[in-house]
Amino acid sequence: MFLDGDYLRVSLPHIDFLKGKPIERLKDGASVAFIGQVTITTSPNSISPIARSVARFALSYDIWEERFSVTKIGQSPESRRSASHLSAQATENWCLDNLVIDRSQIPLDKQFYVQLDLRAEDPRDQLGIIGDPGINLTRLIEMFGRAPRSPQERWLFNSGPFRLNDLKKTEVRGIRG
Amino acid sequence: MPSPKRFLVPGLLLSSVMSLAAGQEFLREVAETNVNRQYMIESVSVAGVEVDQLAPSKLPRTLRQRLKSLVGERCDVAMLEDLSAEIRRKLRFLTVTEHLSKGSAPDRIRVNFEVVRRDLAFDVSLPKFLYDSQQGFTGELDAGTRFRQNDFTFGVVSNGDDLTERFTGITARFDSAGFGYIDGSDRIRLGVAFEDYHEQWNEATVAALPGSDLDLYRSRWNVAPQLTFTIARPLTVAVGTSFEETESEAPNAGRQSANAATLDVHYGHKIEGDRLQQQVEGKYSLRVATRALGSTYAYARHLVSMKYEAKFGKHTISDEFSGGAIAGQAPMFDRFVLGSSSTLRGWNRFDIDPLGGTRVVHNEMTYGYRVGEGTVEGFYDAGAVWQPGQFDRAPATLRHSLGAGYKQGIFVVAMAFPVRNGRIESVFMAGMNY
Repeated sequence: MFLDGDYLRVSLPHIDFLKGKPIERLKDGASVAFIGQVTITTSPNSISPIARSVARFALSYDIWEERFSVTKIGQSPESRRSASHLSAQATENWCLDNLVIDRSQIPLDKQFYVQLDLRAEDPRDQLGIIGDPGINLTRLIEMFGRAPRSPQERWLFNSGPFRLNDLKKTEVRGIRG
Repeated sequence: MPSPKRFLVPGLLLSSVMSLAAGQEFLREVAETNVNRQYMIESVSVAGVEVDQLAPSKLPRTLRQRLKSLVGERCDVAMLEDLSAEIRRKLRFLTVTEHLSKGSAPDRIRVNFEVVRRDLAFDVSLPKFLYDSQQGFTGELDAGTRFRQNDFTFGVVSNGDDLTERFTGITARFDSAGFGYIDGSDRIRLGVAFEDYHEQWNEATVAALPGSDLDLYRSRWNVAPQLTFTIARPLTVAVGTSFEETESEAPNAGRQSANAATLDVHYGHKIEGDRLQQQVEGKYSLRVATRALGSTYAYARHLVSMKYEAKFGKHTISDEFSGGAIAGQAPMFDRFVLGSSSTLRGWNRFDIDPLGGTRVVHNEMTYGYRVGEGTVEGFYDAGAVWQPGQFDRAPATLRHSLGAGYKQGIFVVAMAFPVRNGRIESVFMAGMNY
């Protein structure tokens, strides 16, 4: 963790979530959605965070350029932010850079713990269940009958304890998550 | 006021499926950001075989045309995902996924829909579902399969919403592959429907029956072949026959039939503007039961409806008018009813007329405002149902109702109130495709 101006950011040099099934789908030209969440708690096993940042990312892979493109999907089209021509590593770092916590939400005098939760959303899990003919029960049964997600489609990282004053500070980069 | 506990189970069920619908919206938004949108599609294939090389029996004509029309267009990944879903649904595959690869030039790509077949090619679906705090549950469960582009559907139904009776039973339907091709649709289609129902009558209907010349039946079945012609893209005409027989509850009445010639005309037109999208829809249906077809009943039933809808920004307004008339003596299942999930919402149909009527007019005005992925709606219904010459039993009174609801995709929850003097009991409705 490090402080970037008014924001707390996550840094993981070897996160490597672009692998397995998501990268296969991306290299087929499909779009893959990731949902990322950073939560701050005051104890390691607490279920009520004091601060949280959630973001949805849409990734795709340029078939000809063989580079990645990523969009952070916001509440409105104006709040979208995108980057393209990225390597796999740069794409992963871009996602982490866009998961920030406002430092004012974290108490100065208390230690805290950080959890990063990243999940790949499988479009085939949902499409085809609901449509014009109503609810397709066959597909619903197929969805629940499928083997559970493989571990590489969910990444969970815990670290801490930290204190705000002890964190490394960098120059302001000006990106708000 | 109905107990809140009655809303709990349907509410939980509905919230689960609505969250799935919301997920689909998000995934469509994700597909629209795909970087490969810049490339032009050079060729399209299914399971590695180019669309032009696929045998006619392997791919429905309309789907073939849609796939062929992709060639030369920019790669719209959201549309490819929709087509994957359509191929899977129409050809009943287990999964269909789109695969893009480099084309013959740097701005071109090839599209292949990879398929995984199912062991059993049956689809079980819940096409309609409704919970009404006054009328209870209405629903349909279907199992369908496709053989050589002909669709076979078998269903079970329990419907307490459309008629004065609750009818419960089985349905079967055959829809042929289309013949000919016009404006993206099949020019002619043949369909044959079979229904076999058992009826339950409301106490109010049974009490109002004496002196009415109407007959209550314990069961009815129907066989209805129909040919549908697409005249032009917005206009279809369907002609057919319906051989329907009822088994009376009265011991001496025995079986009675309502064998009829049928006609359905449908017109639908969309006007897409930059800021304003408009939709006009008109329907006319005619059912003529005649002794020439061996029918016990002889009557002609006309029903016409017109709908206009306009969308601008987050706002939607719509108005739908319908009117109908029956000449002659029609059986109970063909009489008009108001006070359902789509007409005079909030009213109890048995308070309006427990026997239904032979004349009907109804108007529904709706205003919607999009909130997130759904639409908050307010509606005003007005209508009357009556029978000439029987005003002492059920006078032709214009009734009104008001309500509000939330709609997301095919799902809707609503609360409706009849406008009248005295005690007002609201009706809660939660449903899908209603």
